[in-house]
Amino acid sequence: MGFEPLLWVLPLAIVVPLVLLGAQKLLAPRRPSAEKGEPYECGVPALGSAHQRLPIKFYLVAVLFLLFDIEVVFLFPWSVAFSKLGWIGLTQMLLFLGFLEVALVYVWLKGALEWEE
Amino acid sequence: MGRVNRQLVSDEPFITTRVDTALDWARKNSLWPLPFGTACCAIEFMGVVSSQFDISRFGAEVVRFSPRQSDLLIVAGTVVYKMGPILRTIYDQMADPKWVISMGVCASSGGFYDDYCTMQGIDQIIPVDIYVPGCPPSPDLFLDGLVKLQKKIDDQRILQKA
Amino acid sequence: MNALSQLDADRVRGILGDDLIADVSSHGDVVFAVRRAGVRRVLRELRDDDTLRFDMLMDLSGVDRLRLRQQYERYEVIYELYSLWNGWRLRLRVPVPESDLRIDSIHDLWKAANWSEREVYDMFGIVFEGHPNLKRILCHHEFVGHPLRKDYDRTRGQWCATSESLHDELQHKHDEERRRAREAGANEPSEADIDERLLVNIGPSHPMSHGTLRVLVELEGETVIHAIPEIGYLHRGFEKSAEKSSWNNVMPYTDRLNYVSALSNNVAYVKAVEKLAGIEVPDRCKFIRVIINELSRIMDHCVCNAANIVDVGALTNFWYLFQVRENIYKVIEKLTGARLTNTYARVGGLARDLYPGFEDDVRNVLRDSMHYVHDVIKLVKKNRIFQERTVGVTPIRAEDAINYGWTGPCLRACGVPLDARKRDGYYFYDEFDFEVPVGENGDAFDRIFVRFEEIFESARIIEQALDKLPGGPVNTEHNQWVLPPKDEVYSDIEPLMNHFMLVMFGTPVPPGETYDSFEVPNGELGFYVVSDGTGTPYRVRVRPPCWYLYQAYPQMIEGSMIADMAAGLGGLNVVAGELDR
Repeated sequence: MGFEPLLWVLPLAIVVPLVLLGAQKLLAPRRPSAEKGEPYECGVPALGSAHQRLPIKFYLVAVLFLLFDIEVVFLFPWSVAFSKLGWIGLTQMLLFLGFLEVALVYVWLKGALEWEE
Repeated sequence: MGRVNRQLVSDEPFITTRVDTALDWARKNSLWPLPFGTACCAIEFMGVVSSQFDISRFGAEVVRFSPRQSDLLIVAGTVVYKMGPILRTIYDQMADPKWVISMGVCASSGGFYDDYCTMQGIDQIIPVDIYVPGCPPSPDLFLDGLVKLQKKIDDQRILQKA
Repeated sequence: MNALSQLDADRVRGILGDDLIADVSSHGDVVFAVRRAGVRRVLRELRDDDTLRFDMLMDLSGVDRLRLRQQYERYEVIYELYSLWNGWRLRLRVPVPESDLRIDSIHDLWKAANWSEREVYDMFGIVFEGHPNLKRILCHHEFVGHPLRKDYDRTRGQWCATSESLHDELQHKHDEERRRAREAGANEPSEADIDERLLVNIGPSHPMSHGTLRVLVELEGETVIHAIPEIGYLHRGFEKSAEKSSWNNVMPYTDRLNYVSALSNNVAYVKAVEKLAGIEVPDRCKFIRVIINELSRIMDHCVCNAANIVDVGALTNFWYLFQVRENIYKVIEKLTGARLTNTYARVGGLARDLYPGFEDDVRNVLRDSMHYVHDVIKLVKKNRIFQERTVGVTPIRAEDAINYGWTGPCLRACGVPLDARKRDGYYFYDEFDFEVPVGENGDAFDRIFVRFEEIFESARIIEQALDKLPGGPVNTEHNQWVLPPKDEVYSDIEPLMNHFMLVMFGTPVPPGETYDSFEVPNGELGFYVVSDGTGTPYRVRVRPPCWYLYQAYPQMIEGSMIADMAAGLGGLNVVAGELDR
């Protein structure tokens, strides 16, 4: 029931990128050079290598973001079918959000949201 | 780049001319400037992007300070010898197609700084498409230069490898 | 100079003792020639003396006296001192012989001296012994020679093929860090610790860099551990170009110093030359100069705050504040003929008188444009995000600011109410009723809001000046300086000859030297002018306010995060035209 839009979207999702990339292959100028490939560092030759260990704080921020982002992603299909799901759907969603909010409060009080110690 | 063809009956193939026109139209109306602003002309460039003179009517509103994301290098202000390697690197790192506008007399020819430290024109190190005179050029003069660049882009033949 | 308390020259002489060569005071300044050997002792005692308290080093510069009537030696290093508490100025001229181009460095007495000594080394070749980092600062690292020497040909340019990697300065910083850790008894950072840090070059072509500033930062996560600035990417040779122009022909070069407030620079320059030449300008000229200086102040503060707030992330305010500038441009363009680089002042007066209708135009502009500033303040002042980005960000203590030679709104944001308009009272400023806004913490928020308050105070001054504007001539009656009226030039032979001589050869200024300062929007813009008796300046040294402001930048940002760098830099209003000249 109601999966016909998918039959439209899927071919489009395949064809459009192919057309764009194909047009670029045919029409765009291609003049690679050594200087062009250098990393951009405001006009100065790049210093050192970017392949090095990064501080763990970045990883923490990324993981927390991922978790709460997925939470938001779950909200989208629920909001589209909101009227059909009725009160039960609302309660279920509020419970789901509630669990994640407990996690947020824990993270907040633990100080994981502060950048500096 | 090909030459402007003004014959009524063109001897160029129909399809490629139309594609060229379409591509040129797309490129000239969506120039993304990289404001390489060094001196006073950069303040007038700020005036160009501000509401009074509004460069976004020409499609060039999206200023990007990265050479990877822009196609129009606007050198606004004096370039001194010390800045030369920086300018050259930025120009080299820009992806094709790219154009250069030399804004102001300092960038075009050194201006009235004829001394030991000022490069007498950026065309000594990078190719320039449009020279906009003025010290600094008023924003409407700069926009005139931008329109001339758009006309120049119109004349480019992309598929015909001239 | 406060008439109530004059500098006690005898006390200074007492401190100088045997190192005094001669008293060379002139033009109302107190100037002493001092022996090179005693320079460190003398400067330290002048700074620490309880009565004199010369706590600010306003300027440190050099002069090549090759073509002047030789007084002591070929080179001289000039120290311009200022006492914040007493309002006294003192200049020391220290001769340095050509055969032995060395002098002691005073970078540990005043942090302001650090870059100034590098500049004197770059321009003249004088070696400052004990300086931690004596390298070129304005010319590029491949430059050979010293350009401000009289025997260096002005037009001999030198190409530069590579940019400097700054790794030597980074090495110094690492050694410093290790030394400080050792002294504090803490663990020294190991090689592995240092390798884990990220080196980012926030270079000359970057939206945050306000033009041509380069900072090499070493980061640990988001925190800046070390910051190494490099300047000189807009060094256009103002001081050398001034030596080939006539006194009035230098005016277009002054426009392009702090190009966002060109009118103020014009007035600052002619004020110094008029002091040297002993010219008194009519009252009408003084009032007009006040009006254009304050209009220039409004324009500069609008752009500075607009750029600062954009760097923090609020773009709308940029359009609003820039519209204020555009509205004032309409008036300025009618008056001077140009929007940005005006060249309006002349030695002895102004290029032309006000046009009829100027007063109404200015009053209308002020009335119609102030609402933009109010809107911006309403948008940002109580905004939580803006406050998090600027309150407490990159603070600097007043003592450090004074040691660095700060002046202007940035110093006032630290709580020091120094404003040359109130202190010196030139150009009838003492008759205007206005306040000097002063901040508390010296952080980014204070710098922005001191400037906003100054915009409103400037509007008040302009209204009062327009009310009090007297009639009369706008140029001095010395017809040696003022070009004759054009209709006479085209009809009679004498005005024609007069015009020819004035334009081709310039008006001679009696030999001598002086320093004069003016409160431009960024602080104290000083000009140290030396004349050899001809119509061409012998030396025009610019004391740029943002030179001393930007020197403190590494200290301000080390320990903060990258995001704070943007908020801090915008508030300093570092304009490369003035910084690099």
